Amino acid sequence: MGDASLKAYFDWTRELFDRAKIFDKPEALRGIRVLELTTLVLGPTTADFLGEFGAEVVKVELPPGGDTMRYVTPEATYWKNASMGFFPENHSKYHVGIDLHSDDGKSLFKQLAAKSDIMVENFRAGTLDKWGIGYRQMREVNPRLIYVADSGFGQWGPFSQGRASYDAVAQTVSGMIGITGFPGRPPILCGIFIGDWFGGLMAATAALVALHHRNRTGEGQLIDFAQSEGLIRTLDWTWLRLGLTGRDRGPAGNRDAALVPAEIFPCRDGYVAICAARDGEFQGLCAAMGEAALAKDSKYATLEARQKPENMKTLLERIRGWAAKQARQEIEAAAVKHGFAAARVATAKDKHDDDHLRARGSVWEYEDPLYGKMMEQGPAPKLSETPARIKWAAKPVGWHNHDVFTRLLGLSPREIKGLEERKVVGHWADRNGARPPAEWDGGTRI
Amino acid sequence: MSDAHAHVHEAIIPWTQYAQELCDPKRVHEKPEALDDLRVLDCSSGNFAALFTSSILAEFGAEAIRIEPPAGDVARLFTPEGLKHKDTGLGYLVEARNKRHITLDLHQEEGRLLLARLARHMDVVIESELPGQMDAWGIGYRQLSILNPRLIYLAFSTNGQFGPRAAERMPDYDVTSQALSGVPYVSGEPEGQGPAESAAPTKQGNWIAWYVGGGFGALSVLAALAWRWQSGRGQFIDLTPAEAEMRLSDAGVIWYHVAQRIQERVGGLHIQVFPYTLIKTKDSYSFIAGFSDVNFQGLTNIMGHPELREPFATTKDRILKARQLHQELEKWSGELSSQEILERVQDYMLNKRGPGTVATARLNRPQDTLAESHWWDRGVFQKVDDPDYGELLLQAPPWKMSATPPRIKWACRPVGADNQFVYLRYLGLGGEDLKALRAKRVI
Repeated sequence: MGDASLKAYFDWTRELFDRAKIFDKPEALRGIRVLELTTLVLGPTTADFLGEFGAEVVKVELPPGGDTMRYVTPEATYWKNASMGFFPENHSKYHVGIDLHSDDGKSLFKQLAAKSDIMVENFRAGTLDKWGIGYRQMREVNPRLIYVADSGFGQWGPFSQGRASYDAVAQTVSGMIGITGFPGRPPILCGIFIGDWFGGLMAATAALVALHHRNRTGEGQLIDFAQSEGLIRTLDWTWLRLGLTGRDRGPAGNRDAALVPAEIFPCRDGYVAICAARDGEFQGLCAAMGEAALAKDSKYATLEARQKPENMKTLLERIRGWAAKQARQEIEAAAVKHGFAAARVATAKDKHDDDHLRARGSVWEYEDPLYGKMMEQGPAPKLSETPARIKWAAKPVGWHNHDVFTRLLGLSPREIKGLEERKVVGHWADRNGARPPAEWDGGTRI
Repeated sequence: MSDAHAHVHEAIIPWTQYAQELCDPKRVHEKPEALDDLRVLDCSSGNFAALFTSSILAEFGAEAIRIEPPAGDVARLFTPEGLKHKDTGLGYLVEARNKRHITLDLHQEEGRLLLARLARHMDVVIESELPGQMDAWGIGYRQLSILNPRLIYLAFSTNGQFGPRAAERMPDYDVTSQALSGVPYVSGEPEGQGPAESAAPTKQGNWIAWYVGGGFGALSVLAALAWRWQSGRGQFIDLTPAEAEMRLSDAGVIWYHVAQRIQERVGGLHIQVFPYTLIKTKDSYSFIAGFSDVNFQGLTNIMGHPELREPFATTKDRILKARQLHQELEKWSGELSSQEILERVQDYMLNKRGPGTVATARLNRPQDTLAESHWWDRGVFQKVDDPDYGELLLQAPPWKMSATPPRIKWACRPVGADNQFVYLRYLGLGGEDLKALRAKRVI
């Protein structure tokens, strides 16, 4: 690959994916409405991933407290009266407060479902069916509706009854925690809500599959997705090896038994992950370590030789010894020069300050009318014609009541007021997590 | 209107029964496939993010064709301790489902011409070369989209196709993407707790960055498909497993942005919610959660220790004094087995013995999960009888769907096993043509 042709390629991609032009391009899911009745992370991310691609998400919460995630925030601290844990899975949504315990509330909700393409809920199995607003009832109202039921254990099966679930329950029952961490040490939790987030990703994917089917046939359907089953899917070769050999998998620390060498190593100023699984990359790593002879040693020369446990052990010790004397940046630079993979274990600050991530919109800076300057993890996939985007930040409970009820259901201000007086419709409680910032002018409702 | 509902009695039956009948895994093969109008060409190399994307699309019915070099994809070698089954590694046998397998050497001009011809017939092309490589070969999105403007082209890499670091020649691997996502930084035991080696940023044991990357791959291909439905046009998708997993990193960047705070490791504790933690039991460990005020009340009821409510009255108390509260939990759980804890929690929940929702689960090793009937009832695991590879235990697609459920048809195919069929079907190449290509090692 010549330098000139590479330069021309990156000139072209820079133009094609230009962060500054995102809002000049159309949205992939324009015209798709998602009705969200969910809490915490699994359900909200399902809708959020669709919203990033342009679906209009109407998020229904029970007033005045709303989504529990409004009260899940680092060290129980709030910023501008809002939970920082609530922002990452609630972008560009329309926030509506409806009391679904009342018949009028249910009726309003049904009217919204009649005008929606996708509905997402994450109550325990059967709850909404009991309330009269589950799949069975909604499919009568709207046969084209794609109904996503997110849960811990699914809509049926022995564990679906009487067991609550959270992200970490899924981590625990799936076996994920059982294969993570160091042998002989207490088990650890993944530092993020991985079961929820990955679950939301899987559920949103199935919703788009169902949309494709609906485009072809006009038919909606029920999607039963359990977050524990999502994580089970990710455990790569775990189940197959058990089936073939009867050998169970345990924790193996930071090394990868299949890709050798691959591990996270301590270095002078932090930690760096290194991987050089292909033989050519391994030769590069050996050159970087000043040990070119290692690459010719029959114990290490091929991946198959390196995968032998005794060879892997001695090899990783040598790399560990070398890495300990380097700085993060030195190892990263050596990797670029010699053609293997190395990357720092990034901190939130590393990500926040990274010009590369900012240029790509993976760290997304924007100005919200209510919260001012925001900086968040941005949409991951970059689409050249219909790029994903964040428009505004999460809002207090019931923030868009008037907009949604007027625009979608044609209710007059007087009718909405009547619903408010009967507590069918409502907005935020006067408490941190639910209410607007103190500096809110009382007028702006974007 | 809907065949899926025809067999379900419309009388009011319990929801669980209704849902089970509607999504019965045993009836999957009677139902249509959502993506059976889609053709996918996956020419990725040694990349399980790409392979997971094509797996998902193939599970939903797409015709997925894997292109491997004549010697086979290096991904077939990525297997624990070198363990192979009939010459193929275990990681690959899991992510080859429903895919046809052909060979083609993209390092030869003739191979690249054949790829371009195949791509005319495709809806989706997936690759994982270093950014710019396919373009330099004349088979990148720029060139293929001229031949096929409806093409959706998905490229995987660690640093992406644009941005200040895009030109760094970095092969894409799981561990490096996990590191860049920042997730290991917040996972694991804190410094000073136990031996130095384990008091370190800790990766997930499985290839989680690759799987998250692959999940976003399928999501974004489907979004592009929705757009193509409206516009008739394809597009270029640039995806990095590192950024994909980073997107999931909770309040990481926003917390730093507003408070210049960085989340540090807390092992089995949690800084946003507590109790939401792993506790030692008589026979194993259990996860237990009861973190809001009312749920904590429920937990202390189950424990029979209502006196804990006062010193740990608020969410903030419980988070800031998590270590102390964790000790109290373990004093209680140390006397009980994980099963006894589960039974006590279920008794409280099912019989509504008091307020609050409490969740618990015994820490499973994979073997334990495999022994639970719940997953088998739901078709989460499947013993696939593969014509080429024999009986294999695989994790099935995770979705239950009433109208178009995903499914596994076969597990894998040997290298080049579908050459004859695919080259005949799409390019009209017969036996003599293939023989000539084989002689030149193009296929």
